[in-house]
Amino acid sequence: MSDSPYHDDHGNKDATITNKAGMGTMTPAHRKSGKTQYVGGGPFLIGDSMTGGYGKGPDILHDCTIAVDKGEIAVIVGPNGAGKSTAMKAVFGMLDVRSGSVRLDGEDITNLSPQDRVVKGMGFVPQTSNIFTSMTVEENLEMGAFIRTDDFSDTMEQVYDLFPILKEKRNQPAGELSGGQRQQVAVGRALMTKPKVLMLDEPTAGVSPIVMDELFDRIIEVARTGLPILMVEQNARQALAIADKGYVLVQGQNAYTGTGKELLADPEVRKSFLGG
Amino acid sequence: MSEPVKNTLLFVLVGGLILLTGFMQSWNSAVLILNMGLISAIMAIGVNLQWGFAGLFNVGVMGFVALGGLAVVLISTTPTPGAWSAGGFGIVLALLLGAATVTAAVMIAQKMSKGRARTISLIAVLVLGFFVFRAVMDPNVAAVEAINPAAAGNIGGLSLPVLLAWPAGGLLAAGAAWLIGKTALGLRSDYLAIATLGIAEIIIAVLKNEDWLARGVKNVIGLPRPVPYEIDLQNDPGFVESAASLGLDPVTASTLYVKLGYSVLFLVVLLVLLWMAQMALKSPWGRMMRAIRDNEVAAEAMGKDVTRRHLQIFVLGSAICGIAGAMMTTLDGQLTPGTYQPLRFTFLIWVMVIVGGSGNNFGAVLGAMLIWFLWVQVEPIGLWLMQVITAGMPDGSALRAHLIDSAAHMRLLTMGVVLLLVLRFSPRGLIPER
Amino acid sequence: MDFLNAFVALSNFVLVPAIAYGSQLALGALGVTLIYGILRFSNFAHGDTMAFGAMIAVLATWWLQSIGVGLGPLPTALLALPIAILGCMLLVLITDRLVYRFYREQKAKPVILVIVSMGVMFITNGLVRFVIGPDDQNFADGERFLISARDFKEMTGLEEGLAIKTTQGITVVVAVIAVALLFWFLNKTRTGKSMRAYSDNEDLALLSGINPERVVMYTWLIVAALATTAGVLYGLDKSFKPFVYFQLLLPIFASAIVGGLGNPLGAIAGGFIIAFSEVTITYAWKKVLTYLAPETLEPSGLVQLLSTDYKFAVSFVILLIVLLFKPTGLFKGKAV
Repeated sequence: MSDSPYHDDHGNKDATITNKAGMGTMTPAHRKSGKTQYVGGGPFLIGDSMTGGYGKGPDILHDCTIAVDKGEIAVIVGPNGAGKSTAMKAVFGMLDVRSGSVRLDGEDITNLSPQDRVVKGMGFVPQTSNIFTSMTVEENLEMGAFIRTDDFSDTMEQVYDLFPILKEKRNQPAGELSGGQRQQVAVGRALMTKPKVLMLDEPTAGVSPIVMDELFDRIIEVARTGLPILMVEQNARQALAIADKGYVLVQGQNAYTGTGKELLADPEVRKSFLGG
Repeated sequence: MSEPVKNTLLFVLVGGLILLTGFMQSWNSAVLILNMGLISAIMAIGVNLQWGFAGLFNVGVMGFVALGGLAVVLISTTPTPGAWSAGGFGIVLALLLGAATVTAAVMIAQKMSKGRARTISLIAVLVLGFFVFRAVMDPNVAAVEAINPAAAGNIGGLSLPVLLAWPAGGLLAAGAAWLIGKTALGLRSDYLAIATLGIAEIIIAVLKNEDWLARGVKNVIGLPRPVPYEIDLQNDPGFVESAASLGLDPVTASTLYVKLGYSVLFLVVLLVLLWMAQMALKSPWGRMMRAIRDNEVAAEAMGKDVTRRHLQIFVLGSAICGIAGAMMTTLDGQLTPGTYQPLRFTFLIWVMVIVGGSGNNFGAVLGAMLIWFLWVQVEPIGLWLMQVITAGMPDGSALRAHLIDSAAHMRLLTMGVVLLLVLRFSPRGLIPER
Repeated sequence: MDFLNAFVALSNFVLVPAIAYGSQLALGALGVTLIYGILRFSNFAHGDTMAFGAMIAVLATWWLQSIGVGLGPLPTALLALPIAILGCMLLVLITDRLVYRFYREQKAKPVILVIVSMGVMFITNGLVRFVIGPDDQNFADGERFLISARDFKEMTGLEEGLAIKTTQGITVVVAVIAVALLFWFLNKTRTGKSMRAYSDNEDLALLSGINPERVVMYTWLIVAALATTAGVLYGLDKSFKPFVYFQLLLPIFASAIVGGLGNPLGAIAGGFIIAFSEVTITYAWKKVLTYLAPETLEPSGLVQLLSTDYKFAVSFVILLIVLLFKPTGLFKGKAV
């Protein structure tokens, strides 16, 4: 609980006067963006030796580095509570990075708010509540393109080509779709900004194994268009199989780093995280 | 400055304001402010129990206050001769039939399985019950209302001492609150706000229109008093003598004596309720209430029946409002349903609780006294202010006349401003919860 | 013939008034439901916002009348309506800037905003009384009836007359236009869609680059327009009295809740459900039944289910029934 008296609702749960559905929960590290600086060099997107935590809370990440380069899929795996999602959120600006930096295409964006990172070309798909359930599939995609002032119909066509089922259901409320289809809407929405890098937070959480395989196929397809993908995954084995780069995090620190194949072959990694 | 010192100073400040009224205006108005302030404080304790300690949003305070007022009529007035034999029993029978209908409907809704059969039988029972109720009710009401309509036309009361009406008012309000709470408090969410808003309007509508009950808008006047009458005091040589020894004329002395009598009674009730509220909150029950408020999920996981606890505290808080309502009607000596306004009897109490400090009983009492003082005094202050502002304007100016005429409406404006300022700059209120 | 007479009597006393009242409630409920959907609290000041808008309309009407501008058979208030809407928009924007915005920045819980809206309610209420006083103000002018009962009888030769007041006709026409505009805006325009998106999922809207402050501003503007329209139509149809608008809060909340809070379609349906139940249950059916029933069965009493003083009770009972059986309202789920 926070100390602000305005956050104390006395446990009131009166549905006739307050509407808690869809309320914002996000606490970005910066509400207003600071300066960016061109430094040059390095991978396309890198969270470089990040240390930090939420607000005034304790540090969750300790000198953690995550990077993805053009044309790559980078995967963050690790045990529960290892700080996988936290690391990704740090890259997206939802965590106070106290030391280290985040750089996109050679530009230091550590002080940008999440919204401005979207403008800079980062597409982010949250793990939950990642679609507008009451709006149609097409409206979801339109909202994804909200910041664009140019004609985005060709991007929408590209998304429909990538996810044909969405074209079929374009006029259905997204909330009525199945779990796998919802994830496709979510990824599609993020693609509408024509991002330079796509970040997925556990895209396969809560879907059946068959749907999961299909989703991975789609993600590979997206990556083939040249879009770098940074993704957090629970299903380490499958994820590493498609990864160009893998990061195993333990307690907010880099434990193992390598290509997907290397990590899958590493006996230590196999023993501790992949169940033998 | 330490907490207790600050709080004491705040109380001293409000006391000083009331004393100032005594010196500047008149002691009669000062004691009047004190008396209504005490009653408001009791209402604020009731609302504070519900909101401050359980997060229940009651916007129907007016209804419970009015029920308290009704209790005074039903308990303390004399029964209208012949009213009971003419139709009183019939009305009771009709009400019982109505209650039976609703009970039957609830039973059907609960016992029968969902489907068309349930819907049809539900509607059938309700419609049939409604017509039977009206068939029994209407002639009996007409009979009662026909008895001496100029002075009575109602069933009257039980001729019991008026002080008994105070707990009775609490009971009446508690009964109504139980019914509302039972339907409006739920597991995952509740809809108490709209339910209380509605029931308050309905209670006022009943009081206004059911003449057999308490004469409706014809008002009941001359209710019995727990304190002596001024005229009796003035005729009592002993009283006149002691008044003279204090340097007071008998008329002023008698009115002051009566008002102070009320003050003592109200103060006793307030202190008792305050003590009870404090004790309850320090008890395991109170700790549990706060545990539920601060983390309902955890409390539920520990096996606490949250809805039941909420119902308890809602009924208790409403009962306190009912007691205060009975006290207020006793002080007024009359029941005038037309004067119950939500802004005055519901939302003003909310301002008191928020300004005083929700979650703190002493805060509620302080807020009530302070806000009541402002409510009374803003009008003369506003008038004075307007006169100062308009002093430069020419005499016959229409704007000047309008401003001076409108000064009376400054009061609502001021209450809003006070509430917003406190919420903005001291959101926990003057005496925050510890 | 008797059947026709019965139908005309029914239309005259039940259908026409209920449709007009329902339109007014629906417009009011739309405002409440939009605030609930987007700002996420129930606005207790809504009735007084309506009163404020209507007050400006009254003042503007008087001014227009004094300079001799009018619409002939139509009430001058229609000309004053745009002025009133602008005035009301100004009020809500100032209120938002001075009051509500601070709490949004603090990410205050919705229930705190409900209490804040009580303060705004006091102030607006006081302001209206301060400016125009607590009394009845009549500002309807122009032709009183579209069809008067006598004309109708002459036209049709029926025993019963059907009177349609100009204000009732205007109410329905204006309400239909307002609702059509609102739905077009919410469903077809980029800004309207961004409002729905914000209501549905605030975080995701933020990630999509939707500016919450803009969404909130548009919401207030629309709410001001709806509230003023509702207030002016109600004032034209009945009469303008500040306190009455405060009392409208209960049926308006009831309409919004019955329809499903946060759902505009529900608000409209709820408005009509409440209006029709209020009017039917408090109407004395004797006249209609006399035409329909055979002579031997003619009702002796007024056949009024409840006295008109209990119209609040009707909204309330409907509300309770709906909440008991469908806690999310009739049109559940869909946010704005």
